[in-house]
Amino acid sequence: MNKILLSIALYLHASKAYRQSKSFVRDLLTNANNPYKKYVDITIIFLIITSVVILIYEVKHPVPAWLDFYDIYIVSFVFSIEYLLRLWVHNDISESIISEQKESHFLGRAFSPIGVLGEGMLEKLKYMLTPSALIDLLAIFPAYRPLRVLRIFVLFRVLKLLRYTKSINQFTEVLSNKKFELLTLLFLLFFIVMTAGIAIYVMEEQTNPNIDSLFDAIYWALITISTVGYGDISPVTPEGRTISILIIISGIAMISFATSVIVSAFSEKLSELKESRIIEQVNKSKSFLLVCGYGQMTKMFFRHYGSEYDNYIILENAQDRMDQARKDGYEAIHEDASRYETLKKFDTEHSDITILCLTASDVENIYITLNAKSISKKIKVIARANDASMISKFEYAGADHILMPNKVANSMIHTAITQPTMYKAIHAILTGKSIARIDEIHTYGCEDIIGQTIKELEFKRAKLLFMGIQRGKDFIFNPSSSEVVQKGDILLVMGREISLEYFKSLYNGEC
Amino acid sequence: MENKKILLFGYGHHGKFIAQGLVDDGFDVQVVESDEKFYTQALEDGFKKAIKIDVTQDMALINLKPECYAQLVCVMDDEHLNVFLTLSLRSLFSQSYILAISDSIHTTKKLQMAGANKVIDLYEVSANKIHNILNRPVATQLLEEFVVHKNGIGFKELIIPEDSFLHGLMTDDIDLSEHGVLLVGLIDEERGHHFEFITAGINHKLDSGDTLVCIGDEEKLKDFEELIKKGSV
Repeated sequence: MNKILLSIALYLHASKAYRQSKSFVRDLLTNANNPYKKYVDITIIFLIITSVVILIYEVKHPVPAWLDFYDIYIVSFVFSIEYLLRLWVHNDISESIISEQKESHFLGRAFSPIGVLGEGMLEKLKYMLTPSALIDLLAIFPAYRPLRVLRIFVLFRVLKLLRYTKSINQFTEVLSNKKFELLTLLFLLFFIVMTAGIAIYVMEEQTNPNIDSLFDAIYWALITISTVGYGDISPVTPEGRTISILIIISGIAMISFATSVIVSAFSEKLSELKESRIIEQVNKSKSFLLVCGYGQMTKMFFRHYGSEYDNYIILENAQDRMDQARKDGYEAIHEDASRYETLKKFDTEHSDITILCLTASDVENIYITLNAKSISKKIKVIARANDASMISKFEYAGADHILMPNKVANSMIHTAITQPTMYKAIHAILTGKSIARIDEIHTYGCEDIIGQTIKELEFKRAKLLFMGIQRGKDFIFNPSSSEVVQKGDILLVMGREISLEYFKSLYNGEC
Repeated sequence: MENKKILLFGYGHHGKFIAQGLVDDGFDVQVVESDEKFYTQALEDGFKKAIKIDVTQDMALINLKPECYAQLVCVMDDEHLNVFLTLSLRSLFSQSYILAISDSIHTTKKLQMAGANKVIDLYEVSANKIHNILNRPVATQLLEEFVVHKNGIGFKELIIPEDSFLHGLMTDDIDLSEHGVLLVGLIDEERGHHFEFITAGINHKLDSGDTLVCIGDEEKLKDFEELIKKGSV
């Protein structure tokens, strides 16, 4: 028995297909950033809505048999598959059996997988008892129409929608932060309702024809305290009316208390909710910028080029600066970019992230660089360094580009003094003025230019100045006209944007 | 440039590096400071002629004879002082060419109003650079190397001498790439004293006295400079 279990576990562990499919399903069902998850979600939501619509329609109209078939078999089938998959990916029993085997081997004790198997099963059972899993399970049952009471199952399908609506999740999350207050309130409510119910029962059971049982009395107390007051049961004796007065007053107090608790919970969480929405939004895009710090550099950058970047977030850990950024109309969140948790929120898996470390402190910038690189090497970092002695540290930290504002400005001044005519030229080129852009033509977008010689390419026709080829790490300046363009080359040209676009259109590329 | 004399106000963050760069390029730099610490630093770094004055005093500025210098460069660390200095210099010497550095967005405008001919905004140039790195990483990197003449390739201004073979030629008809240099742009004196890029699409007629801005290997540029002195090739 032990051996069979172990060999099954080992077989599953060794099977690449099994592990891959399991992790794929897990990612698909649970990872909000998975690109295919939204299709799964949309399908399930569609099934839920149609089955509810069918039931509502059916109340007054006869439905065709195929709709019944759809509702009873197809929807239930899909839901049960989903339920089983969720149960399957919840934990890995085979992995725990293998680790148990390794541990027993290491400690020299007898190997018994039963305990681990039991633990794994218990874990699954625990999952099955969570509210969301229970709803999933009950939602599988179709609303069996002949038995009217079983129509209640359709409610579970509606509840199942909760899993797919983010705002409800956030709502419960916010409320769970006020658990203590709400529980206190609930307890108080229970206490008052019971007391008042018992009191009215004792006072009026004999005299009031509407109160026959304790249930009636408690029902009356709840309807009164909630200020709903149907009026189907009302006190008839002065004692009963006194009790009414007391519970109506406490009811008003309690409702206002409950409202204030919920409102304060939301206002406390509002900025957090907003920020998580911003992060969620940006995570959906393929590539985005994270700008750390909202100082002079960031302000200048956004003032000049803000309109060209759609997908970005400014991370600022000083509240006043963050407010300023928002006032200036930029997407900013109050976060410390040097914290691991902050950067972890962004989807490094599916998006290309570029981080601009533009805070005024070198230490901070280095720390952010390291933090980003420790999360994923894929993150590109452009860091600002104020002190020349920091350059090597930034390089060690792994920054892709290091920018020294002082150096940039000094070299501009130097050029302005030594070569005044050229200063204008270089400044225009650096700022990318329309007539003097120096731009790159990548061969991977323009397959047509591969294999052609420089002479054959129509630079003159497009009024472009061809400057050279970046091949690997080398730059070949002004190569001979018989040089052949190779795959992976980047051609460096200067000219107007329209010239560049014209050139690209000549070779029908999107380089 | 004929007059290579530069009057540099400030030997702080920027001044120190600019001064040294200029000296390396063969400029005659006169350092002026008002701060004791920076002044001593300048002396230590070999600027023996460095002067310490109170730049808020007009007489002290007049005594420096700024009119004898090609350019006045204001790069004092104290930005208030820098603006005040620019303003004083402009009011005293209306003909001088004043270049100033700005350390903040607000100062740039003040310096321009104070009369600086050119203001270099530290943050503006850096913001440009970030934008360039994001959009044209390779080109930006290369361009920077051209500016500082790394790898031997750089820009150069060449004035077409009298009797040069270039005199009378049209820009569309000449191809400098066989000489190993590329023509980036020029100042065509006929069309006014301003720089125009070759990619603007205008066919210029070259004359003696026009300035060509070329890019190329430093050696090749030097050879080309010699070449254009000749009447024919």
